[in-house]
Amino acid sequence: MAKVTFRKTIIAVHRDVGYFFAGLTVLYAISGVAVNHIEDWNPNYTVTHTERSIGDLGKIPDDGIAAEVLGRLGIKEKPKAAVRMSEKEYRIFLEDRTLHVATPSGQIIDELVSRRAGFFHVNYLHLNHAKGLWTWFADIYAVGLLILAMTGIFIITGKKGLGGRGRRLLIAGTAIPLIFLLLKT
Amino acid sequence: MKRNLILVTFVVLLVAGSALAGDSTKYGEGVTLEKAVSIDQLLASPADYVGQEVRVDGTITGVCKKRGCWMQVTDEKGNGVRIKVEDGVIVFPATSMGNTASAQGVFEGIPVAAQAKKHEGKEHEGDKHEACDSKPQGEMVYFIKGTGAVIES
Repeated sequence: MAKVTFRKTIIAVHRDVGYFFAGLTVLYAISGVAVNHIEDWNPNYTVTHTERSIGDLGKIPDDGIAAEVLGRLGIKEKPKAAVRMSEKEYRIFLEDRTLHVATPSGQIIDELVSRRAGFFHVNYLHLNHAKGLWTWFADIYAVGLLILAMTGIFIITGKKGLGGRGRRLLIAGTAIPLIFLLLKT
Repeated sequence: MKRNLILVTFVVLLVAGSALAGDSTKYGEGVTLEKAVSIDQLLASPADYVGQEVRVDGTITGVCKKRGCWMQVTDEKGNGVRIKVEDGVIVFPATSMGNTASAQGVFEGIPVAAQAKKHEGKEHEGDKHEACDSKPQGEMVYFIKGTGAVIES
């Protein structure tokens, strides 16, 4: 029977944990870059505004505006809600779409909100919007990453391991966030 | 075989937990107050409510589309109040526009000038039509610092 050594054990643990979490790590990495740049773009939704004009709405009472507007636009969908926002604006809410209707002019801003394909879902997981059970799995993933980091350090021995190159890289990688914190906080 | 079964069971439980959500979704601590204050009343005499925990009911007429960090709840008369939540702690989905919601939190007011300075040049993409929904009441802008909400789907 082969002798089970410390190194063999950590290699096996690193390998199995690595395989198990590889997919999620890729997803989290993509989401990480996406949300890092939230000041420059919307990583979750695409929002488009299209201006339309359906002509003067005259003195149509509020409870008839939604039907009139949708009729003139040829939209058959039943609105989720319709609200008079101000004297000059009436809002009609459809699925993923809002019509900002200027009254009585009939000028419309058609706002379409769509989930950004792929990104919405990876951000949903990464930012833990799911809560509940996903929180537990995300905690397990965090422990997994810790295991990967700790076992990874000891996999290689010799000049490329902790005795040489590995040590220098470990110090450099740890120092960068520490220096950043010292300078910024 | 046994290990595969455990793995499959875990994944199924995870997916089922997410899929079992009902017709309404709870955000943050949800809503615990039984009685809602009418938004009309809240805005008519805001000073009476500042610092108090309140609940409002209405239609969602605006949502922060970038971070989901606020939503506007409006009553049938068009009176609206903004529910501001801590970034990332509660995230209101942009697709909830037009849904019915109840929201709860502490009613607060800040001077108009302070709010304008805070948001100078920082309006989120897609917010331009909702940016002015929290209408100043005189020298102050009032909002609810939200602790929870329930959104009907």
